Amino acid sequence: MANTVVAFQSAYRVSEPDLIARVLAGDRIAARELYDAHSPRVYRLAFRLTGDADLAREFTQDTFVRAFGQLSRFRGDSALSTWLHRITVTVVANAMRKVKRFRERETDLEDVHPLGSDSTGVDPVLRERLHRAITQLPEIYRTTVIMHDIEGYTHTEIAEVLGVAEGTCKSRLSQARAQLRAALADLAPELES
Amino acid sequence: MMDDRFDELMRDAAHTYRKPAEPDFEAMWNVVAKESFGVASPTQSGLRRSLNLPRVIGMAATLLLGIGIGRATVTLKSASPTSASTVATSTVARSDSIPEPAPYSTETSQYLGQTAALLIALPSEVKAGRANEQFLSRAGELLTRTRLLLDSPAANDPNMRNLLEDLELVLAQVVHLENNQSRTELDLISRALEQRDVIPRLRTAAADISAN
Repeated sequence: MANTVVAFQSAYRVSEPDLIARVLAGDRIAARELYDAHSPRVYRLAFRLTGDADLAREFTQDTFVRAFGQLSRFRGDSALSTWLHRITVTVVANAMRKVKRFRERETDLEDVHPLGSDSTGVDPVLRERLHRAITQLPEIYRTTVIMHDIEGYTHTEIAEVLGVAEGTCKSRLSQARAQLRAALADLAPELES
Repeated sequence: MMDDRFDELMRDAAHTYRKPAEPDFEAMWNVVAKESFGVASPTQSGLRRSLNLPRVIGMAATLLLGIGIGRATVTLKSASPTSASTVATSTVARSDSIPEPAPYSTETSQYLGQTAALLIALPSEVKAGRANEQFLSRAGELLTRTRLLLDSPAANDPNMRNLLEDLELVLAQVVHLENNQSRTELDLISRALEQRDVIPRLRTAAADISAN
């Protein structure tokens, strides 16, 4: 995420703190600049967490509406991207709890969506089983696995986004991987081949 | 062995697990902008805050005059049979250029109008000794908006980009005036405006966006 900030600052003529000040003054162009810089990653995270394009779109919008509404509370202690991703994770988690049918819908979508290409030579059955296992992980483990192993966040970044200690984050990832291995235990011969 | 295979599976999942397709970010922005900023224009309220009423009326009148002249120029060009091919070429060039996303049109139009008003009023404001801190602060704000627009898709159009770059230069000179409003500096700014044909281009661009 630090790289994102650096890239952002070098690519634009107006720095991120200046943009934030402009947004607070009601400048929509500045708000659009921030949205353009951060929305792709926010959307990707929301999609990875939900597996549903409509929900991801809705949650991304919600994230930015909340962020612009609460921007005066952003103190700059962490990167803006970290703050935005924290809102994203909160928005997604709250909505998932409220939508009771979410899990069934999620499972259906996993059945419907085509899986990625087979160019890596990974057995499609193993791949699908792993995907299902990730989806079925308890929320705190799934979020950690998705952020770390799927989206490439560091433990420090995840800890900041989730508001937990870095050690907790590492422990959750270890637990999550153990659960995934356990879920694939019956496929041990395939994994060993 | 199994750990290696598991790690390989996890690496594969990074590319295959819920891989998102590109969403319509523009449509999403429209929802965000509507919910976050509504329909009211914050730049207009900013203008009201920073300038007194007679000056705002004066600037608005100047702006309307400028847009009127710009439109009249376009109309005259269109009406002239000798310049028909020029107009046709100009129209084709405009339609060939990268279309400016709609959300920026309103902002750009407001920005161009406000910048035109400020630059047209500049000589008389300086002569009357009214180019005070408030006026220059307004120029600074417009300079920031210029830079934001240069970073935005509004600058995808080469003509608009050139105009914005010239405006960035001129506004930077205006901001540099500060409390040292010497005749020489004003002359330099006036010369820059004249050499770069800034005001007529500004009027035409404002008229074009307004007409569209």
